[in-house]
Amino acid sequence: MAEKFDNLEEHLEKFVENIRQLGIIVSDFQPSSQAGLNQKLNFMITGLSDIDKCRQQLHDITVPLEVFDYIDQGRNPQLYTKECLERALAKNEQVKGKIDTMKKFKSLLIQELSKVFPEDMAKYKAIRGEDHPPS
Amino acid sequence: MEPFSALFVPSEPPPALPTGPSGAPPVVPGGFGPGKPLSVSGPPNSSVPPIPPPPSLSSSVPVGEDASRRSSGPFYLLRELPGLSDLTGSVNLILHYNLEHAFGKFCGKKVKEKLSNFLPDLPGMIDTPGSQDNSSLRSLIEKPPICGNSFTPLTGALLTGFRLHAGPLPEQCRLMHIQPPKKKNKKHKQSRTQEPAPPETPSDSDHRKKKKKQREDDPERRRKKKDKKKKKSRHSPEHPGAGSSQSGLR
Repeated sequence: MAEKFDNLEEHLEKFVENIRQLGIIVSDFQPSSQAGLNQKLNFMITGLSDIDKCRQQLHDITVPLEVFDYIDQGRNPQLYTKECLERALAKNEQVKGKIDTMKKFKSLLIQELSKVFPEDMAKYKAIRGEDHPPS
Repeated sequence: MEPFSALFVPSEPPPALPTGPSGAPPVVPGGFGPGKPLSVSGPPNSSVPPIPPPPSLSSSVPVGEDASRRSSGPFYLLRELPGLSDLTGSVNLILHYNLEHAFGKFCGKKVKEKLSNFLPDLPGMIDTPGSQDNSSLRSLIEKPPICGNSFTPLTGALLTGFRLHAGPLPEQCRLMHIQPPKKKNKKHKQSRTQEPAPPETPSDSDHRKKKKKQREDDPERRRKKKDKKKKKSRHSPEHPGAGSSQSGLR
């Protein structure tokens, strides 16, 4: 898995570096650097071709669309991961709280119903045949 | 045990319900609608086979559930408990999926806000919103570029289109040279702020005073200074003795 990304990363880095050098050549162009410029332009095309080839290896990779919003706003995409993990933990705690509360409620209800309807609750327990959580 | 159909088909024909003025059966307040006409079994001598009774609420219950209902004794609406699943929200799902390392990495310490902190080696100003220079990834999804053409290198004839004029680009076009400002160390910042008006620390001022004192206390230095003063005063035109001494020498 990591090899695929390494390959793409390597190609992207080369491409970015080539573009940077191209920018430097163009920013203060000298007639003597025309040959270098032509070479860089062709490197750019091969670079794009190499990146396009990486697409086949990464067709099974899914990226959440929300990450793009972070990048578009100039924010660190790791913040998205952080917020996702924090949200997951908060939700996990919330659900655990609900489950625990419902368990307590069930045991209390059975306890109280057993006081008022002892026979019925004995039948109920016999039907259910389960261990009720201790009250 | 009675057959299933016998449970729901009435053995005796129900009493005829009073009809309304329009002939339609009256609506019982608080009850269900009239349903279909009561000619369930049909006329006995007709050749049409008997129509099965319309499905009622009770008949829609599956056989298995009915059996369980009968076994549930005095309780109704008692259903099978949902199967116990191993994974619920009562367990720590981050630990379950082995994400504690990622959690510690991202939530344990402060993650830097800017994109340039994530991609420090990327040239250009990448912290500005993509909508400003139309470089957003969202626009790439909404308006995908035309793909499918193969990448072919530029030949000599095509490269003539990229012949450029000599000379530097205007400042506003030099986007590649703009880098996001990098934060400097706190130490540097402090020294910078101190530069315009460096506050004298007690140790500094003491040191200077000491130096001055040392200079003053030095006897040789004192003598030399005195001699210099004397010489100066002799040569100065204001000094009364200077001219006379000079003239006397002559």
